[in-house]
Amino acid sequence: MRDILTPLAILSCVLLPLAGCKIVKDPDPEAATTEAEQMTDEARMAAFAESIWADQVVPTVNESTVALPDLTALINTQGLDAAGAAHGLRPDGEANPWNFAVSGQGKIVEANTESRAAKLMVDTTADGVADVTVQLGPVVRGTALRDAMPFIVFTDFRDQIEFAKLARALNDLAHSAVALPEGDLVGRDVSFTGVFTMRNKGDKVELVPTRVQVE
Amino acid sequence: MKVNRRHFMAGVAVTAILPLARPVFAAEKGLIAIITPSHDNPFFKAEAVGAEARAKELGYETLVMVHDDDPNKQSELFDTAIARGANAIVLDNAGADATVAAVQRAKDAGIPSFLIDREIKESGIAVSQIVSNNYQGAQLGAEEFVMLMGESGNYVELVGREADTNAGIRSSGYHDIIDQYPDMVMVAQQSANWSQTEGYEKMETILQANPDIKGVICGNDTMAMGAWAALEAAGRTDVIVVGFDGSNDVRDSILAGGIKATVLQPAYRQAQIAVEQADQYLTTGATGKDEKQLMDCVLINGDNAAKLETFALTA
Repeated sequence: MRDILTPLAILSCVLLPLAGCKIVKDPDPEAATTEAEQMTDEARMAAFAESIWADQVVPTVNESTVALPDLTALINTQGLDAAGAAHGLRPDGEANPWNFAVSGQGKIVEANTESRAAKLMVDTTADGVADVTVQLGPVVRGTALRDAMPFIVFTDFRDQIEFAKLARALNDLAHSAVALPEGDLVGRDVSFTGVFTMRNKGDKVELVPTRVQVE
Repeated sequence: MKVNRRHFMAGVAVTAILPLARPVFAAEKGLIAIITPSHDNPFFKAEAVGAEARAKELGYETLVMVHDDDPNKQSELFDTAIARGANAIVLDNAGADATVAAVQRAKDAGIPSFLIDREIKESGIAVSQIVSNNYQGAQLGAEEFVMLMGESGNYVELVGREADTNAGIRSSGYHDIIDQYPDMVMVAQQSANWSQTEGYEKMETILQANPDIKGVICGNDTMAMGAWAALEAAGRTDVIVVGFDGSNDVRDSILAGGIKATVLQPAYRQAQIAVEQADQYLTTGATGKDEKQLMDCVLINGDNAAKLETFALTA
């Protein structure tokens, strides 16, 4: 029964615009011992993400932050693995990609704030070409925020479903932390801090921000 | 007479020892039981072959068995492995809940288990659980699917067996991407239980009720093969089909212009890693890794399909 209802419950939440607001009771009577266990994965992970955001996630990002130009230079001269060993964060397991916490500033060359996957394209090297994508959401790609946290370990979670919901909840918090000024953003200066995943040297930087400041 | 008898007895002794001696040499380091779902699905066969090859390289004897996704049968296979005095078990399990007891029983008998592909719902019982990053892989597949669909149109989802965590996580990964596109409309969502036959039958029925579909996204490659066969039979080769696993069958279909994309799970390597960690654990008492480990998946489409062989990408 539970196996049939759980995906439905997850789906019904996903389809809601602000998914975290809806709490659906877990229908499994055996698991219903505490309040936490009665929540859906989504609601439970949203609550957990909320509880670690300000005290653990944001401080971890701030402590591990490297200036983006320094990191780029290091990757270019010594390679991704050397840069990863020096500044990267990644979970255990073969061939897991590196995550980096970075800060930087630049000029907004393109701004898409209408899409569900809203983003700022930022030029940090003053060559007129965007080299960083700052993801604004609500659709934020990837699991960089979750995977960059050394205190978040997959073994502590029931399964991939729960673990995926945590990644999504952290991305949701990153999205809600972003406050942009009104008006056209193109041409304005912006500074940012955040996390991104780099699988291969030379990949685009798609940042999940913990701070975005448009000047 | 005396001499003859001595020779005879020596001969008897040698023939008696020979069959014993052979496994002793082969099993210098012990026995690894390799238990997976049926090899009818090439994915599971690749796991078993990968694990067996690595185990032999490392000096183990192997015992390869299939549970056919039946938890009762799996339980019996665990009893067999325990009775045979296996030193370790490499397992692709028959259900996230149902498997907990079997793995616990092996642990109580002093046999460590190393899980691949599918998780169980408890940690601290198995030594390793090495699984593909299905959520990441599903998002890759969904992004490709949305792109191929031109971000709009009616589509069908064929999901895997409900009792399997991987069915839920892939569906969840698909929808976390697809549902962000308001013009993508899911007209049917059904389980085809990972099966090619069911994939064919479900697709046939769905197509009759919904002739206006543009795409089908599937939780694995065997269902995608079934769906594609049904679409071909109905003359609907215009429908975009995306799978998950990275099988040679789907590779060939992609190269022939049939199915459009799939997501490779590194099944062969994953099984080898499980054996390597078993060896590490048996030799040193620890794997040096977290119990649960994710391995990233890779998108396969027309650009790289030719490099795919038996669930691994060649350089």
